[in-house]
Amino acid sequence: MDSLHAIGFYVSSGVSVAGGLGVALLPRRDMRGASLLVVAIGVAGIYLALSAGFAAAVALVCYAGVAIALAGPRYRSIDIAVGPIWRQLGAVGAAALLALLAFSAFKGAFAHATFYGGTFGTAGIGRLLFEHDALAVEAVAALILVAFAGGAAAWRARDRTR
Amino acid sequence: MAGQGPHAMSAGIVSVLFVAAALVAAGAFAAAWRRDLSAALAGVPLMFAGAGVAFVGVARFGAAGGPQLFGQEFAVLLAVASLALVALGVGMAGRESSR
Repeated sequence: MDSLHAIGFYVSSGVSVAGGLGVALLPRRDMRGASLLVVAIGVAGIYLALSAGFAAAVALVCYAGVAIALAGPRYRSIDIAVGPIWRQLGAVGAAALLALLAFSAFKGAFAHATFYGGTFGTAGIGRLLFEHDALAVEAVAALILVAFAGGAAAWRARDRTR
Repeated sequence: MAGQGPHAMSAGIVSVLFVAAALVAAGAFAAAWRRDLSAALAGVPLMFAGAGVAFVGVARFGAAGGPQLFGQEFAVLLAVASLALVALGVGMAGRESSR
């Protein structure tokens, strides 16, 4: 990895981690949506720096869609009935997860190999998606269809019962 | 060679995995700490993004011979699945009443 890609990687990493902290800590939903958009830009930059241009484009579109969906003002706020003890345990568990993953990353320098893909890698990814792993892509497409249809049906049903 | 001198900046798989760990942990914290369901839901795509970064990093640095692009493929599928999950979650939360 040359210096230009490394600089892009570190800048994008900072952007994405800052956006992730914003998602975790900011109080309002529009601010959280903007933070998720920042995460989308940062993650796409990381993918670009790692020579995964196609994945960067898809991730930017998908995570920007997630940010727009979560920043919208028209859905209800639902409080989760979980006590403070369990929330604090969850926060401690997240910290333990960070420590575990950071230790694993620190020990992850065992992999050294040559990268043979191109900058954008569309041909290779396309061969994988539509030839080698076509069944998995079909499964994900069915999942998306069911999720969108279920979400729209639930949205309409709740609106009708009100 | 430009950018390959003694002070050339570089990034390896350890840096990539550190960033992935930070994103996953931030998402787990948001999902566990937030009282509002939509705020907790926002942590899930964050964890998916961290997992995608780890997959792409392993595909970039840990590909043992040949064009190993499975990590990039899985990152693409994760991004699409996170969009579907959030759409379903927001749809199930329902529309805010105007009354």
